[in-house]
Amino acid sequence: MEHDSVIHIDKLSKVYTVNEREAGLVAAMRSLVKRKTRAVQAVDSISFSVNEGEIVGFLGPNGAGKTTTLKMLSGLLHPTGGSATVLGFRPWERNRDYLRRMTLVMGQRNQLLWDIPVIDTFELNRAVYRIPEPQFRLAVDELTDLLDLEPLLQKPTRNLSLGERMKCEIAAALLHRPSVLFLDEPTIGLDVTMQRRIRQFITEYNMRTGATVLLTSHYMADVEALCKRVIVIHHGKSLYDGELSGLADRFAPFKTVEVELHNGARGQPLTQYGELMAHSEGRVTLRIPKAETASVTGRILAELDVSDLTVQDPPIEDVIEHVFSQSPDPLDQQDPQRPSGE
Amino acid sequence: MFYLRLFATYVRVGILGELEYRANFWINMVQSALDLSVALGGLAVVFSHTDTLGGWRPEELLALIGVYFLIGGLIRTIIRPSMTQFMEHVRQGTLDFTLTKPADSQVLVSIQRIEIWRLVDVLIALPVLATALVRLGARLGLVETVVFAVTLLCGGLIIYSFWLMLSTCAFWFVRVENIQVIFMSMWQAGRWPVSIYPAWLRSVLTFLVPVAFATTVPATAVSGRITTSTLIGTIALAAAMLLVSRWFWRVGIRFYSGASA
Repeated sequence: MEHDSVIHIDKLSKVYTVNEREAGLVAAMRSLVKRKTRAVQAVDSISFSVNEGEIVGFLGPNGAGKTTTLKMLSGLLHPTGGSATVLGFRPWERNRDYLRRMTLVMGQRNQLLWDIPVIDTFELNRAVYRIPEPQFRLAVDELTDLLDLEPLLQKPTRNLSLGERMKCEIAAALLHRPSVLFLDEPTIGLDVTMQRRIRQFITEYNMRTGATVLLTSHYMADVEALCKRVIVIHHGKSLYDGELSGLADRFAPFKTVEVELHNGARGQPLTQYGELMAHSEGRVTLRIPKAETASVTGRILAELDVSDLTVQDPPIEDVIEHVFSQSPDPLDQQDPQRPSGE
Repeated sequence: MFYLRLFATYVRVGILGELEYRANFWINMVQSALDLSVALGGLAVVFSHTDTLGGWRPEELLALIGVYFLIGGLIRTIIRPSMTQFMEHVRQGTLDFTLTKPADSQVLVSIQRIEIWRLVDVLIALPVLATALVRLGARLGLVETVVFAVTLLCGGLIIYSFWLMLSTCAFWFVRVENIQVIFMSMWQAGRWPVSIYPAWLRSVLTFLVPVAFATTVPATAVSGRITTSTLIGTIALAAAMLLVSRWFWRVGIRFYSGASA
């Protein structure tokens, strides 16, 4: 056992048995009695550790297995294989001492009760988590302060905007001061200002409490602002685990070269150097295979009247997109759709 | 103790929440009054033709109506709204929030929503019961009171366990609201003593859908006619159903989290 790792998972796997629904009334009636099922490998032998106080971004396209992994770590799902410990507990045993020290926030789902004021949901959580009154006051005050909840607390949830609701959701999930946070797309659907707000808050909470955070997001801005380390998963497999900045080195097979020309780009045979990405008067962006970067930039400098030239890694979004657009490796195609028994 | 305090918090929040919808109070008031009038009217009609119904005297039937409203009120205040909410949570995936809480999930689910205005039924039940008792001229001694309380409690637990088992099916079938509707119509049958029904229906109401234990049995207890074997049987059934429903709930939770796969 590593002592400083808060989350430790080893070859964790999850196979779902999903119901197959055929079209048509008769088939639907039949499925009332007997359902056809098939197995789907949602998470395929993932291993990683997260140290105390780290904020790790969990990246992957829809259906990659991010949420499934978070659900296993928060004790909602039993894995089909492998092992995991969080804070020394096996999550799916749902030990009360474990549940009191972790929290799960899902951007797409609400725990706040719809019809009652936000503060009353907080009150229910206080009762459920058995938070002593003074500690509860302190937590509410602190969260109110950090998230600007003052005008929201007395309103029923249904009267809040999406962003306001999310702030309250997060606050409700943190009243018991958890030391491990699982955040599943906490900024989804929010406007840019609110996203930034939530990001700042997560950073602040992490610094104040030293909590460990595992977060998924579709917004690269979230990941870039919060996570030094990312884990990329695709088709249930881990593709990359390391520094965010290393992602481009590892996956982008090309670099972006920006060239500024003295006498304009017009009429220049630019496509011979690389793929033309953007093009405005006197300014050109080219995509060049990584291995050829040196030779091609040499040729550009020699053959064109260049006033400025920069070589960059492509934007992280493009890298990610590139990774996910590739077909999964052959191993992964081992018929995940094989039908299960009854 | 912890769960009592938790329950108190839910009740308080339930009251606060429902205060937002004061119209509900009046609607429930009218509804309950109508229900009661229909029930009493039915009694009056029946007893204008006969002196006893299946061996039940008018006062005893009045007591039955009292019990029927009392238990029905509790069902509508706590059990039905909580279980409906639970099914909604399963459907929307928000049950996850309940399962990540450090408290017993069955308890959390069972008390999560309280429609406080439905207590009107209980309030209405009390004077009806009182009237019945006075008319019966029953000397409600300590023993009778305890027996009545025990049968009421057992009846409530039997209905709760039954409903929990129905709701637990939501883990497999997701949408089981219809079962609730069926239950509520069976429940209506509990307004009359089960002994007046034909044998097949009596068995259904006793063994398949245990309405009889929640209405007829406590009503016989309050009018002092309950036999020891019925009393013991009721207690045994309540205990058994409580255990079985809890076991079934656990199976459901395990299925939900895919332990069986």
